[in-house]
Amino acid sequence: MTSRRNFLKGVGIVGAGAAIADQLWSGVEAEEKPSAPETLSGVVKLVLDVNGRKQSVQVEPRTTLLNTLRNHLEPAVTGPKLVCDMGTCGACTVLLDGKPVYSCLVLAVDAANKKITTVEGLGSPDKPNVVQAAFVENDALMCGFCTPGFVTTISAYLKKNPNPSLAEVREACKGNFCRCGTYPRVFEAALSAAKASQG
Amino acid sequence: MQQQQPQPQPSPKPKKKIRVPRVVNGVEQMVEIEVDEDSGPGWGPNDKHTLLNHRMTRVDGPLKVAGAARYTYDQRLPGMLYGRILRCPHAHARVTNIDTDAASKIPGVQAIIQAPLTELRFAGAPVAAVAATTPEIAGDALRTIKVTYEVLPHVVHATAAIRPEAPKVVAEENNLQEKAKSGDPAKAEAAFATADAVVEAEYFTQRIHHTCLETHGMVVDYRGGDSATIYASTQGTFTIPGDAAKELGLEQSKVTSIVEHMGGGFGSKFGIGTEGMLACRLSKQTKSPVKLMLTRYDEFVMAGNRSGSWQKLKAGVKNDGTIVALQARQYRLGGLGQGSQAGQPYIYRMGDTYREIYALHTNEDSSIAMRAPGHPQASFAVESLVDELAYKIKMDPVAFRKKNLRDEVYHRQLDRGAQEIGWSRRNPVAGGSPGPLKRGMGCAVGVWGGGGNNVCKVDVTISRDGSVVVAVGTQDLGTGTRTYTRAIVAEELGLGINDVKEQIGNSKLGAANPSGGSTTAPSLSPSVKDAAIKARMMMAERVASLLGNPKPEEVVFSGGNVSAKGQSIAWKQAAAALPAAGITSHGEWRADLQARGVHGVAFAEVEVDVETGHIRPIKMVHIQDGGLPLNRLTMESQINGGMIQSLGMAFYEGRVMDAKLGMQLNPGFGDYKLPGSLEMPEMVPIIDDDDKREAVIGIAEGCIIPALGALANAVFNATGLRIRDLPITPDKILIAIDRHQLSQI
Repeated sequence: MTSRRNFLKGVGIVGAGAAIADQLWSGVEAEEKPSAPETLSGVVKLVLDVNGRKQSVQVEPRTTLLNTLRNHLEPAVTGPKLVCDMGTCGACTVLLDGKPVYSCLVLAVDAANKKITTVEGLGSPDKPNVVQAAFVENDALMCGFCTPGFVTTISAYLKKNPNPSLAEVREACKGNFCRCGTYPRVFEAALSAAKASQG
Repeated sequence: MQQQQPQPQPSPKPKKKIRVPRVVNGVEQMVEIEVDEDSGPGWGPNDKHTLLNHRMTRVDGPLKVAGAARYTYDQRLPGMLYGRILRCPHAHARVTNIDTDAASKIPGVQAIIQAPLTELRFAGAPVAAVAATTPEIAGDALRTIKVTYEVLPHVVHATAAIRPEAPKVVAEENNLQEKAKSGDPAKAEAAFATADAVVEAEYFTQRIHHTCLETHGMVVDYRGGDSATIYASTQGTFTIPGDAAKELGLEQSKVTSIVEHMGGGFGSKFGIGTEGMLACRLSKQTKSPVKLMLTRYDEFVMAGNRSGSWQKLKAGVKNDGTIVALQARQYRLGGLGQGSQAGQPYIYRMGDTYREIYALHTNEDSSIAMRAPGHPQASFAVESLVDELAYKIKMDPVAFRKKNLRDEVYHRQLDRGAQEIGWSRRNPVAGGSPGPLKRGMGCAVGVWGGGGNNVCKVDVTISRDGSVVVAVGTQDLGTGTRTYTRAIVAEELGLGINDVKEQIGNSKLGAANPSGGSTTAPSLSPSVKDAAIKARMMMAERVASLLGNPKPEEVVFSGGNVSAKGQSIAWKQAAAALPAAGITSHGEWRADLQARGVHGVAFAEVEVDVETGHIRPIKMVHIQDGGLPLNRLTMESQINGGMIQSLGMAFYEGRVMDAKLGMQLNPGFGDYKLPGSLEMPEMVPIIDDDDKREAVIGIAEGCIIPALGALANAVFNATGLRIRDLPITPDKILIAIDRHQLSQI
């Protein structure tokens, strides 16, 4: 898999920042022994399967999946939020073949040929999925900026573990940050969604 | 239809003068205004509402959970460019040269501008800004710009900045600036003679960051011509057009700001800011829409932090629990700014008191108002001090607080909280429980104003088809503004919440105040209520002939029906009697529908592992009054949020500055620890329904204040260790244990 950093090195960005970065990363590169030595550059054309719709898009290969969804697809897919852009907050969580990933840490070129599901693909305002409905019902959101990430993470988790304990729910969303302070109600929403799915 | 009695001459309505908050950059100042003494029907008893004071799910919830709510960050306009800001890596420097040749040759780079300042006084100060066709190319441009700096001496730690030989943050000015003195120092000194015990200690609170998940920024949609639209992530829709118009060289009336949804502000988002200024200049230069949202790094280094504090306190107490004297020396640590810190003894009675307040400057970006500016800092210090005094004279901390708090509301809230947390289970001996996992409890109290001001102009329009729209330019920060705005109108008209739609977040709609100081609900809801009452009366007049000509005030709006004199018609039928254009009422603020002054009490239980220093929060309780709770569900959420943000400041968060480099060492979520799901204790948010005031009061800030002291005091109760320097991290616990053990040898 092309990582964001070996790609950056590959395109040979000039300038002090990139030069320092290259030095820092050179050790890592050597250890990693990339299996695919080819370097992509310029603009590449790829087809992304987003929420069941295949779309062709042209991006620089260093473009993250998150930025591709938000800045390049037509219409823009803005449910996944850009908050930290370095894989620490979870707001950009999407599902790649059903598995939650931080879309700011995935390159769009690596998401081609995979099924990408964003929060928009889980349900709509009129037809929410069980987790989305539980979030509204339990007031598991305030400003709402972290909400798509939590909803996506928990929706995927309940598929894996349909009847979780509170401790398991906490563990499942430890990779998502909320600043307004909705956690207790996020937990309640997850548990009530699990209960609702059980019928 | 019309009343036939002769109309009495309108006598001037009795007036009264009241003091109301006016919020400037998130900080409230009190001003006096004149209002009508009584200006119409009130809210009625708090327990007689059909929608308000119930648990209403928020009306924008379905959009937000489905990713369909459009935030500023989500705007993407045709031909839009992406802006980025280049920042100074030095804490104090002068720019001597900027070489943009290479950057301007990168394909896709459309504009490079210099920031206005040449002397930069903190690491992270803006030096230049670029606009490019993608954010990635904008980043390339930043890395390619070569800036030459003359590096100047700096100081970033308060304890160093106070020294006479410290580098000057601003040339020719002392880093230490005296701001205020109050009380009689001689009297306070003399009062110590009557004390049975004295506590003297220093308390520090760190600088924490707002860390709004949606970073600061805006999309400036200007393509040449005489008008512009600004999509802004702001706490004040109306704080944007004036500033932006100046930068763009347009008339203010030609600039519209739009704030559909916004991802957190907490006091840090007023006006266009430096980033907005640069975005406007880039847009003006390129005649293209420019989106300039700060990166997470930017957000840490320049978009806001809560003022730090350093407080030297000395208090004397009698054995019966009466505090008799206080001396306070308070330093506000606001970096380049003035900082904020409420004066001691905060809300306690402490006999003869004397205090001095100073601003102590460092080479850091200015602190910005953050949820309850100045209060958490003062509260933590005084609540720690009060706790120390209570333990010193071996008095129960709850009883001790009651003894020194005049306001009865606190007494009832303290009793309620003690019951909720299980205070009677607490080991009164600090550190007294056996084994390495030690549990403890603490409590604290807080105060806030939360009154409104006369700003909001609200329109309610009822159309002939029965649809109802309430419109006002206000913004919803995630506080539930949209929901209660709808609910007030729906309740007044006897409709369901989904029968009314709200339009907000647009500067072309009726005026509204910026959301600072918890002033939104008490400023907005009276105007909404006034508009709703007026709409009801207009409607009642229009339908009177269908209902046997009752007086307008006799017409009852309830359950989707309009009734009078034993007759009832459905809402839609009633609306059909309206003129083709429908009716529109205009609501004004009414002082009698809001009030000022909220009380909050927090209790906390923690478990401290004295072998590792790890603290596990077990349970937090917060009791908050607020007059009429507009929406119980969202109010409880706000109380939870207050507790969680306090938890972050108490145990996890804090900016770390490197003295030598003058830079922040943790400008990212990887190193700046926010409270997460694993840290959450059991949380009990309690609305104090013993508050019978039939008035709306803002509560958001009130519920962030006391938990800080409660948590710190719980750590003391658990361990017998008094950590006076926030955040209370495992290393500080372990160092305190070492010191304690050494002192026992």
